Amino acid sequence: MLTDFTQLEAGTPVNGNDEVERNMVLVEKLAYSKGLSPEAISIMLEFAMSLRMGTSLCARVLKCLIPATLVPQEAVVRAVVWLSVGKIPVSTQILFIKWVLTVFDMIDAKDQLRAVYGFIFNFVTEENLCPFICHLLYLLTRKESVVSCSMLILFPQGRQPFLLSLLSLYKVFCPEMVMLSIPSRIKSGFRNHNMPWKSALIAVQKGAGPHVAAGISPASTTIKTNPRKRVWGFSKEAQTEPSSCGKVVPLVQLHSFAQLLENMHRIELPAQMGSLLGSSLALQYLDCVQDESALLRLNFWLGYALHEEFLFCGDRGASQNSQEALPFLDRLLSTQHFLQEGFSCSEAFLYKFLNVWDGSLLRPQILGLLSNIPVVPSAQIRQLLFEPLMQLFFTSSLFFKCGLMECLNNMLLKWLTWHSVYALEDDLDISLNSHTSINMTLSGFKDSVMELVDFVGRLASLGLQLEGCHSLLLSFVLDFYETVCDMFMKYGLPLVVMPPPGVFYPALFATDPVSVDRLAYIMHRYKVNFTSAKSQEELTKAFHISRQMVREFNHYIIVMVNCLWNSKMFQLDMGLSLGEDLLLKSKVPQYWASFDLVHHPAFMSYAVDFHHRDMDLNSIKVRGHF
Amino acid sequence: MERHQNRYNSILLITLLKYYFLKETRTPRNNVVVHRRRKSKSYRLSYRSGLGAADSRLGWSPALTARRLNTSRKAAGISNIAERVDPGQLALLVKTEWQLSYVTPLHQFRHTQLKSYARQLSAFIAAGKQQGLAVEVEGLQTTFRVSFSLVQGMTQSDEDAESVLVQIHSKRLFARQDEPQKPVWSGWLTCINGNPDYLRALPKDFVCLPLFGCSGADGLSALVKSWFQQSFDCCFGLLEISHTSLQWLMALWTNCHAESGIQHLKMIWTLPAAPPLQVTYTVDPEDAWELWSSVRKGKGGGGGGEEEEEAGENYIDIEEVTSFMQGLKSHFYRHFRLDLSAGSLNQVSTALGSAKYSGRMKISNSRYMITTLTLLTECALLKMPI
Repeated sequence: MLTDFTQLEAGTPVNGNDEVERNMVLVEKLAYSKGLSPEAISIMLEFAMSLRMGTSLCARVLKCLIPATLVPQEAVVRAVVWLSVGKIPVSTQILFIKWVLTVFDMIDAKDQLRAVYGFIFNFVTEENLCPFICHLLYLLTRKESVVSCSMLILFPQGRQPFLLSLLSLYKVFCPEMVMLSIPSRIKSGFRNHNMPWKSALIAVQKGAGPHVAAGISPASTTIKTNPRKRVWGFSKEAQTEPSSCGKVVPLVQLHSFAQLLENMHRIELPAQMGSLLGSSLALQYLDCVQDESALLRLNFWLGYALHEEFLFCGDRGASQNSQEALPFLDRLLSTQHFLQEGFSCSEAFLYKFLNVWDGSLLRPQILGLLSNIPVVPSAQIRQLLFEPLMQLFFTSSLFFKCGLMECLNNMLLKWLTWHSVYALEDDLDISLNSHTSINMTLSGFKDSVMELVDFVGRLASLGLQLEGCHSLLLSFVLDFYETVCDMFMKYGLPLVVMPPPGVFYPALFATDPVSVDRLAYIMHRYKVNFTSAKSQEELTKAFHISRQMVREFNHYIIVMVNCLWNSKMFQLDMGLSLGEDLLLKSKVPQYWASFDLVHHPAFMSYAVDFHHRDMDLNSIKVRGHF
Repeated sequence: MERHQNRYNSILLITLLKYYFLKETRTPRNNVVVHRRRKSKSYRLSYRSGLGAADSRLGWSPALTARRLNTSRKAAGISNIAERVDPGQLALLVKTEWQLSYVTPLHQFRHTQLKSYARQLSAFIAAGKQQGLAVEVEGLQTTFRVSFSLVQGMTQSDEDAESVLVQIHSKRLFARQDEPQKPVWSGWLTCINGNPDYLRALPKDFVCLPLFGCSGADGLSALVKSWFQQSFDCCFGLLEISHTSLQWLMALWTNCHAESGIQHLKMIWTLPAAPPLQVTYTVDPEDAWELWSSVRKGKGGGGGGEEEEEAGENYIDIEEVTSFMQGLKSHFYRHFRLDLSAGSLNQVSTALGSAKYSGRMKISNSRYMITTLTLLTECALLKMPI
């Protein structure tokens, strides 16, 4: 569709031209919904300013030039050149300058515009254009520009506020060149000229959404005086400008991975690292290059934002926090998810925050951040992590308990994944790098995992008791143990940990069949892991399975089989000691068979289903006859 | 010496509480040859213990989760600060009430480029003013002249960075050449006796000046802060002087009564009644001194015969401070039947200086400036996010 515009011949009539009309409508539709891409802007601007189809379309096109992301500066420079050709009516010229002022922040670079500074300056003499040109010059002025222009032109023009504003800026840069005295307060300065495009721009930018885009979404650079709001200004436009020699490429200018690869060796980081948070490209670059200062700056800013918003916030209400904090935390989470790693500042923040958290403010986000914490050495894990979590767990609702279970499960998964990627070949306790004070060796890692699994086991046992073996909580707990049972086979960690009785028995006697089934699956996986570990042990003597664990496993298996299959419940040494008189008192007939496959309450539904089928026993007998 | 040792032990313990570890590449278990790039960097942050450079992946962090305010600190001795610092600059720092903030470390701040910074800041302020940002300054001003100056002689250790003083003068339209220009805004950045492990652990291109004080128009403060944020990628946050710190200041100032009289010890409390009750509690200096000495004698007297006694006199413990405070509160209770612990301490002032909970602070006597600034630097460092 856009190519149609480029191919239109000069002089094609407008009136009655249905095809052009249709295309225009399509372009307008696209512009107002999603905004135009930079190429589209280029083409349409060229089409409009060259007046290929007369002046009437020019204004219409200018009015619908809503950029989606950026405006290429070459298009603007070319359009400025067209301005001087002289055929465009004055009102349209004013419209064009107003458009440039409106999208000024979205122009990708300004060096070419600055190169034609003098050319633009000449328009100051045009009375109608003067205010807008002054505004544009004000935005473009640098010290070098001032030197190259003659001041004399401005003098006879009078003392309008826009002229004075421009002059005062010149005076700041080159005081010796401006002889005029300028009053201290220039009343109006420059007015906002973005009226025709303002609402459409806002709509398009809102629609663009907070997803992690390949480029960096520019935003206005107004300094927000509200100090709290400034905390969230992470999408501020980066402050570096491209250097004229082109040796160094600012990171903000790269929009695709290919560009990143091309310019890898000469990338310049923005002045504010916080602006990179939403850009996947920038994060990939940082992750690869590992520039310590850059990462530290990012961490400082991120940590500052988290601390100010949640820890130092004083008596502000929770509702205020959530509205602004939610998108920020979501973005942080998606960044961490993208990088497959957490930021150290968020870890530090969480350890402090967990002590004061009420368990419900922004729960999914906080738990998400928590699951990204890296392996904590076993010496500190109790104080840093377990203490606050215990307090939260036992004073919270069922849903928090489930959420925390899931979070700890994710945490374990991430730790195990880390280990399996960087696993030691041998498990000797070697401190391989002696120049840092604390290392994580395999045994240290195993200790931490052991602590975590133990902790979750204790939480689960007590939690299930508190919640009356609620099946939702049981399901999350069994999720966790599905991860735990396969630690050896799936992740190569030579560690097998059995679930505590407080988890095993509620699952075995659960009232829904899924839990019993999952328990059986988990026990099966344990068996597979044990047998594989045993064979490994014989082969390499690499690690020693804990005999205690094997005994526990055997015990559980015996119990399970006796219970479900052999109808020998409550007999033998089960670990559940219920005196016989008590069992008799319960008046359950054949109590030893009360939990086998036929009588188990969990399988009741299957039994009922079986009976509902059209089973004509007589027909079976008849068949058996033959 | 034991107290020294305890102090350093506690710092070390705190710093060692961080837990970062190195990861090395390993060949996979089944010995399949995989050409994995040998990463010498850690999977996550490894902790810089000051022993040597460590690697970091997504950032870096010293021990901070368990950082606490020092439980014992050196009593304010007479410091010869007047001899070390330019008296003109010193005069600017005392007798003004400053609003305090904490600042994260500044990236690529050079003490040698102060002139250039001054120029950049004045252009920034001029541009800000033109854009109509709230810079309402009285009188007929045309432009602002900014000056950055180095305040030498204030640092106490090798790790501290030199303090920087920023002043904004207004240039009146028809000012005579010899008319003295009073600054319409001033501010300073400093780091006095900062935690040496933290400072050493920072990479070389960061300058840590965690304490920032400013006085003047709010609009100018906002402009200056945003210029710093843009130029050095740092963050400014309000530094509130906590209850403990206010108690410390009270104790430290009272301790100086023998050398330079404090003239009064005034506290302002707010009690949560409806409407809130504000209590101004002024204690006669002699009484305060008596109470303080009795507290000190009770604590410090037990260390007779040890070699630390001499050093012990110079150190004040948090227990002494709390006993002092408790004494004052119980005295108040005896007379008025109001327990001040139910309320909050908002302001402490003596002739040596005053400090408010909201972060406003004034130093009236330059001799004790170092001790006060040491305490405030510590407070600021505690607020560092990592």
